[in-house]
Amino acid sequence: MTSDVIRFIHNDKIIEIKDSDPNETVLNYVREKYKKTGTKEGCAEGGCGACTIVVGTLNKNNIDYEAINSCIAFLPMINGKQLILVEDLAKDSKSLHPVQEAMYNFHGSQCGFCTPGFVMSLFAMFKNNYIYDDETIKDSISGNLCRCTGYNPIIKAAKSLNGKNKSDKFFKNKNLTINLLKRINNDNYNIDNNKRKFFSPKNISDLKKILKQYPNSDILNGGTDLSLRVTKERNNLNSIIYLGSIKELKYIKQNERFIEVGASTPLIKFEGIVKKFYPDFYKILKRYGSVQIRNVATISGNIATASPIGDTLPILLSLNANIVISDHKGNKIMPLNGFFINYRKTILKKGQFIKSVQIPFSKNNIFKAYKVSKRIDDDISSICGSFNINIKKNIIKEIFIAYGGMSATPKRALNCEKALLNNDFSKESFILAQKSLEKDFSPIDDVRASANYRKEIAKNLLLKCFLEIKNNKKIEING
Amino acid sequence: MAKKNQINIFEESKPHESGKKHVNGQAIYTDDILEPEGTLYGAIGYIKESNALINKIDLTDVYKSEGVVSVVTEEDIPGINDVGPVFPGDPIFPSKKVEYSGQPLFAVAATSTELARKAVLKAKIKYKKIKSIISIKDALLKKSFLVKPKIISKGNASKSIRDSKNYLSGNFYTGSQEHFYLEGQISMTVPLEDGDFLVYTSTQHPSETQQILAKMLNQSSNTISVVVRRIGGGFGGKETQSFIFAAISTLLSYKTNLPVKLKIDRDDDIIITGKRHDFYSEYEVGFENDGKINGVKIKLASRCGFSPDLSLAINDRALFHIDNTYFIPNITVTNYLCKTNTASNTAFRGFGGPQGMMCIENIIENISSKLSIDPKIIRMVNFYKINKNNTTHYNMKIKDNIINELFNDLITSSNYNKRVEKIKKFNSENQYLKKGISITPVKFGISFTTTFLNQAGALVHIYTDGSVQINHGGIEMGQGTYTKISQIASNELGLPLDKIINTSTNTEKVPNTSASAASATTDLNGAAVLDAINKIKENINNYVKNKYKINTDNVMYINEKIIYQNKYFKFKDLIKEVYLNRYSLSSTGYYSTPKIFFDPKKFKGSPFYYFAYGAAVSEVLIDTLTGENKVLQVDILHDVGKSINKAIDIGQIEGGFIQGMGWLTMEEVLWNSDGQILTHSPSTYKIPSVSDMPKVFNVNIYKDGINIENAINRSKTTGEPPLMLAMSVFFAIKNAISSISEYKIYPKLDSPATPEKILTSINEIKEFNENTRF
Ligand SMILES: Cc1cc2nc3c(=O)[nH]c(=O)nc-3n(C[C@H](O)[C@H](O)[C@H](O)COP(=O)(O)OP(=O)(O)OC[C@H]3O[C@@H](n4cnc5c(N)ncnc54)[C@H](O)[C@@H]3O)c2cc1C
Ligand code: FES
Ligand code: FES
Repeated sequence: MTSDVIRFIHNDKIIEIKDSDPNETVLNYVREKYKKTGTKEGCAEGGCGACTIVVGTLNKNNIDYEAINSCIAFLPMINGKQLILVEDLAKDSKSLHPVQEAMYNFHGSQCGFCTPGFVMSLFAMFKNNYIYDDETIKDSISGNLCRCTGYNPIIKAAKSLNGKNKSDKFFKNKNLTINLLKRINNDNYNIDNNKRKFFSPKNISDLKKILKQYPNSDILNGGTDLSLRVTKERNNLNSIIYLGSIKELKYIKQNERFIEVGASTPLIKFEGIVKKFYPDFYKILKRYGSVQIRNVATISGNIATASPIGDTLPILLSLNANIVISDHKGNKIMPLNGFFINYRKTILKKGQFIKSVQIPFSKNNIFKAYKVSKRIDDDISSICGSFNINIKKNIIKEIFIAYGGMSATPKRALNCEKALLNNDFSKESFILAQKSLEKDFSPIDDVRASANYRKEIAKNLLLKCFLEIKNNKKIEING
Repeated sequence: MAKKNQINIFEESKPHESGKKHVNGQAIYTDDILEPEGTLYGAIGYIKESNALINKIDLTDVYKSEGVVSVVTEEDIPGINDVGPVFPGDPIFPSKKVEYSGQPLFAVAATSTELARKAVLKAKIKYKKIKSIISIKDALLKKSFLVKPKIISKGNASKSIRDSKNYLSGNFYTGSQEHFYLEGQISMTVPLEDGDFLVYTSTQHPSETQQILAKMLNQSSNTISVVVRRIGGGFGGKETQSFIFAAISTLLSYKTNLPVKLKIDRDDDIIITGKRHDFYSEYEVGFENDGKINGVKIKLASRCGFSPDLSLAINDRALFHIDNTYFIPNITVTNYLCKTNTASNTAFRGFGGPQGMMCIENIIENISSKLSIDPKIIRMVNFYKINKNNTTHYNMKIKDNIINELFNDLITSSNYNKRVEKIKKFNSENQYLKKGISITPVKFGISFTTTFLNQAGALVHIYTDGSVQINHGGIEMGQGTYTKISQIASNELGLPLDKIINTSTNTEKVPNTSASAASATTDLNGAAVLDAINKIKENINNYVKNKYKINTDNVMYINEKIIYQNKYFKFKDLIKEVYLNRYSLSSTGYYSTPKIFFDPKKFKGSPFYYFAYGAAVSEVLIDTLTGENKVLQVDILHDVGKSINKAIDIGQIEGGFIQGMGWLTMEEVLWNSDGQILTHSPSTYKIPSVSDMPKVFNVNIYKDGINIENAINRSKTTGEPPLMLAMSVFFAIKNAISSISEYKIYPKLDSPATPEKILTSINEIKEFNENTRF
């Protein structure tokens, strides 16, 4: 069945929207049409968290509460979900939700403009966790900027939630909400109004049909890159195919050889799994955007951008990841190395999509990855370096090195690898190999870093990798 | 005025008056006001040229664009085309020449913000490029100044330097800073009858907005009303930079006779508005073997942008604070106000003060390195003292100096000396990670240095049911001024806070106000509210005297009662009685700061009512392979006098510190050589986020603090001063870098200390190490 009505749950009512503009963001809808102005706009690009809302998603017989940036989510993306705004948290107009109460009591607001966003991020944290330790708290609000408080009172407020009674109104109404969510969760959603098309198929076979019929459409996944074409560049996206409702693309599987991640699996789900195998991958994911971003952004979206500063890309390159490319004709597995052809260009053809990513295990190897940026949280890397090494009897038997931020696309450092392969695992080898990085890359100056700095950091990260392995001790400031 | 009234309820940490509304989304900001039927939405058009002669602006396609209702250009302005606050020079739309990249050229009103923003991109503008001046160095070279360079001096700097045992010279740069208030610039104008206008705008300065709009429309000020309930952060960025947006929304409203909302997108906000002045200085200093400074000569140049805006006063404040807490017997400063083809730089928390202080602190640090004496000692040797060495270079005698005690207290409480040793040990044991530590003092002068601005008005009503409305010229921008002033009124009237409402700041209620700036908002407006309350109390006393023939001395307002020596009333009852007997229960109030005076020509006088003091110790860790850094621990001791609200004061201190830390570490404003700003969004301009918080953050209020002047409750303001506590972070980073040379070399490092700059500085030291090995 196909429907052209967006349905979502708000305050335990089904809201239906007909004839919506698929380029309209949830933020604009909520503020301008719905006249709920508690949700604020601070940047309209996912970078400040003022617009944070929470969406409830049905997960078997449970609800996942996900904080997202409403400024870069298109309205159809909340189809089939529960919408929760800052105005909705308290059980009545005279009381406050425990999270709000804590923010109030601990002086968590000054000008107050960032506050609704923080409240929503903390609300999601409150709902999804049982213990609120420093790491959980910081992670939960790393995508929210506050220019007034310096964060201390907000952290204190968050800590005070430990031990608070969790049975808020959402807990009490859960069964009702789940039933409502089930009622609206069935249809393919398609909209094809006079100007703009938006397709949200529920399965891969429908996706393939639509892709074949409308090959010029833009594929929308988490939207954390694509939506900026509308909100920042002021362009229109006239035909969109959304992957987010396809359950078959949301999975993480594991066999002896690799982990496979479905195309529309949000990064936040992946980070928990990858932690066991590649702790450095996990660490970088924790610094990737923010919870709001990682709740929706996907690995396949990151790959498809081919962005030189895509954080997962050098890592996947050095881990020799494969991708599964799919279209109406079938599937094709290929190595990621070779997928990027130029600045933000891939070999992907019209009508094709990335179905999944396969990340091999390399149990005998040592894996290290580093991200260098001006700010720890939610910052684009100046450079990201990733190292996958096999050392036997002090000889480097295998080595895969890749960097982001060093050229037009993320790239393997083949000359450097060559310089190290079959050589001693020694400082001398690494110092020599540093030189060959100059052959591999000629980076450019931009806002984030100068070419010289990039060159130097690339070398230093190589050295750091050596030192850390050698001394079996991390050299890090955030430890 | 600070006469002891009733019990002192001040020290309590009352929550922010809007706290509940902040957390549940009910607090209304300008963008949240329900728009009247028919409201149009604006957007601003510009070109990305920093210096260009305009030949032709072709707006045909803009008019044709979907949803466009009206377009305004310079030709639509009936009155004065200038929003310059003190001096002219800030056209709303320039008529001939664009002077910075992003300068507004025209604006449209359309049926939605989105359509308006799309429409402005369709203009075809023909122009001729002219060579532009972007950097301070370029401006100095080409002598591009806003005003003639200014020289201030005391004693004979040249001679004292010549006669000194030690000499150093060098240069230093502190970067710009984007305000990044979370609520962007926004204004909504509603047309009223007779061509009058009601303007809601996010500004720190409603009265000047009103005056400027009146002049723009060739109307008198009484036809324009400006109303501000709260703003989502200002930090100086809405002291004058908000005017142009109010002007444009009002011009569009004037032309269409419809309400117009103009909401500025974040990128445009950063592109169009000015920022903190970056400063470049060159110095020479002469000093004794113990570090005592005999004299300094400084060339102090700032990037002002294309117009004066507030640059003169800002540079003055840099000059006033170039001593920080130090007695400098001989000093000459030559101040260059560089005119550049960039947005007009403007007020930003500290208003030039921080830049002046950084200049002298850098000198102190260099002296310390040269003499191999802990910088803490150099600082203490040079501190102003109580009975001698207590007069500033602008001839003001410092009467409230507590820096010596406060600094010593902090050295002890932060365990500074032990930590210095520990850090040295750590550094000798670690090759790639290095730690650094620094303690820096702050002395900040409170008052507008433009003397006439130090005045405020208020309006207080008591209604017949005993409820109270207070109103004043202060803007609530997060600093808690409404809360503090409500507390003051509550204390003075003996009423609980919920009986008192602080209504929106409104030019119809209190006229001719000064900007909410210079940290003086609560001091000034709180005093004006007190004055109004006292006038009403006088009426009440007059009634009681006439009616009951009792002594009205020493009346107490407490617990909703009014207590005379031998009779008491319920507040509510007496108020009703006073009303029925026809006495006024409403009054204006007024305050002007006493004692201050200043002669700008001679640069001498007592421009400040009092000084606020503080000090901070910061400890940092740097990664010498990448230049990344982390603040490990911060210990702050700050003087707030006798606090009116400790929670608010602590909030200001912590928030100010983090903002200052951002300025000096990660916040980097970058322009390309054509003068286009490159860092115009949160993806490229990074303000501190939660992980940048110091791992340990100890913030304490100085226990013995008391304002020797008669400020309310003997309190001191906490608006701006804490920002400068962050200087300690910057110098701790330098200390860590210096450790690579075993503290033999003091690194060259300008602010902000980004990872890249830190690494460059490290490399210079490494090179030096290598060269000296032979
Ligand atoms: C605030 C913010 C912070 C960010 N921080 C980081 C960061 O730290 N590190 C980083 O690397 N990136 C960061 N990004 C960039 C962005 O998150 C990534 O590029 C992201 O992975 C994109 O994934 P998505 O699912 O949101 O992709 P979308 O925006 O949905 O799509 C991106 C592009 O890929 C295409 N695409 C998506 N999925 C597929 C598919 N399965 N098959 C074919 N084509 C597809 C789309 O058509 C589109 O062109 C940030 C973005 C924002 C807004
Ligand atoms: S408005 Fe800034 S993240 Fe959405
Ligand atoms: S309270 Fe003002 S931005 Fe957070």
